Amino acid sequence: MRDLYQRLALSPSANEPEINSAVARCPNSALRQDAKAVLAIAERREAYDTLHDTVSDIGRLRARLGLTHGAHWQGDVANDFSLPPDNAISRHDELVDRVSLAVSLYNRWRRWRGPWLLISTFAAGAGIGLALGFALSLGLSLG
Amino acid sequence: MSIARFSPFELLLLKSRSQVDTATLLLLAWVLVHRQHVSEGQRRRRLAQVTAQFRHGHELGPVMGIAHSQDLQAIQLAAEVVRKECSKERSLSVIHQAITVATDDGEISLANHYILRFLADLLNVTPSTLSTLFQELTGKPLLPPEDPSRDAYWQQHDPEYHARQAQEAQAAERQAKEAQAKAEQRQQAKTDKQQQKQQKQQEKQRQQEQARNAKARAQRDKEQSHREKAQQEKARREQAQQERASRERWQQEQARQEEARRQQRQRSSSPPPPDRKTRALAVLGLTPGASRTDVRQAYRRMAQLHHPDRFYSESDHQVALASARFQRIKSAYDYLMQTY
Repeated sequence: MRDLYQRLALSPSANEPEINSAVARCPNSALRQDAKAVLAIAERREAYDTLHDTVSDIGRLRARLGLTHGAHWQGDVANDFSLPPDNAISRHDELVDRVSLAVSLYNRWRRWRGPWLLISTFAAGAGIGLALGFALSLGLSLG
Repeated sequence: MSIARFSPFELLLLKSRSQVDTATLLLLAWVLVHRQHVSEGQRRRRLAQVTAQFRHGHELGPVMGIAHSQDLQAIQLAAEVVRKECSKERSLSVIHQAITVATDDGEISLANHYILRFLADLLNVTPSTLSTLFQELTGKPLLPPEDPSRDAYWQQHDPEYHARQAQEAQAAERQAKEAQAKAEQRQQAKTDKQQQKQQKQQEKQRQQEQARNAKARAQRDKEQSHREKAQQEKARREQAQQERASRERWQQEQARQEEARRQQRQRSSSPPPPDRKTRALAVLGLTPGASRTDVRQAYRRMAQLHHPDRFYSESDHQVALASARFQRIKSAYDYLMQTY
């Protein structure tokens, strides 16, 4: 399995005229023939594209998990679909971080009696609003 | 740190009674999604069947949903969990389940070839272990995946394509012909009426001609008897002439053959040099009629093969031989580049 798009310097979403011109420009006759047989025929291109998506997903997964030199990842596939190692942190660590943050927030909420705090804040806000409104109405009636 | 919401799979993992089981479930669902010619219900039933002893304690529906959406982050998370928490036996059993799910009674799909190998790499299963396991479970050896990026694959799997194209082209031609035929019929209908008129006129003419012909035949019969006598005399004269001509031809041929023999003798004593261009082409391993690019390619190839630097590590004699060969190739190439 080779990445024909990469070898022809195309994007996987290239349309037909782009593919045809790239194929015509390609100096390697074997690659040209393969590209003509695969990409120029709509059904075959569709089948190829689905597999291409899956394999490039696997290439990305391998890059993130540090498996780009695995024993089962050799030859054309490894040459064409390996990506440079990703610096994204491990998803599991991220999940653990997120859970611990959620837990600490929850704990703080419980420690400060969250519901009562909320109610008292709301009451204070309402009182200030009432006082302001009273003062405004007094000012209007006097003026 | 970003405060993104928990994704569906993360929630599932947090709620699960056994994280490894949930993660394995997602990986198996991923394999199942890439199996072909299977309905959605069959996939779910198969997943439930395989994971009967799992202790995850949640529904399978959301897992299948996540696998269908090809959520790469969820799959990565599952892979990390599985890698972190699987013992050696457990990882073998995961591979075992993945193989059965990928192949039972059917062929393994191309995508699953790559997914299985990814799982094997993830779980530290060597290629030999994987292939023996596969052989035991399915009774077939694990072949390297076929390559749909090559023409050969499609010639094997889609051989009727060109036949179909040809048929379609033929059908199109037939339609065009029928359309033409209809147009012609219409024209003929118009012309038929005109022709009928013409035919009547022609019949009258024919009757007149027949009358004339009958008179002419009587005259011809008399003339033929005279002509036959004259022809017999001519034939005798021609035979005599042909004999003389054949004698002359034989003499000429002998003279020609002698000349050819003389020329051959001359050639063998001093063969005329074959075209220098042909010789130069032969040095480069080409036949006459090669283009300039062919010459250049052949020269590059030969120069790489016979460059004296390649024989540096071997004896001086080898280097000398190589440089002589290289000189010959280079001069041939230079000559060809001048003339072409």
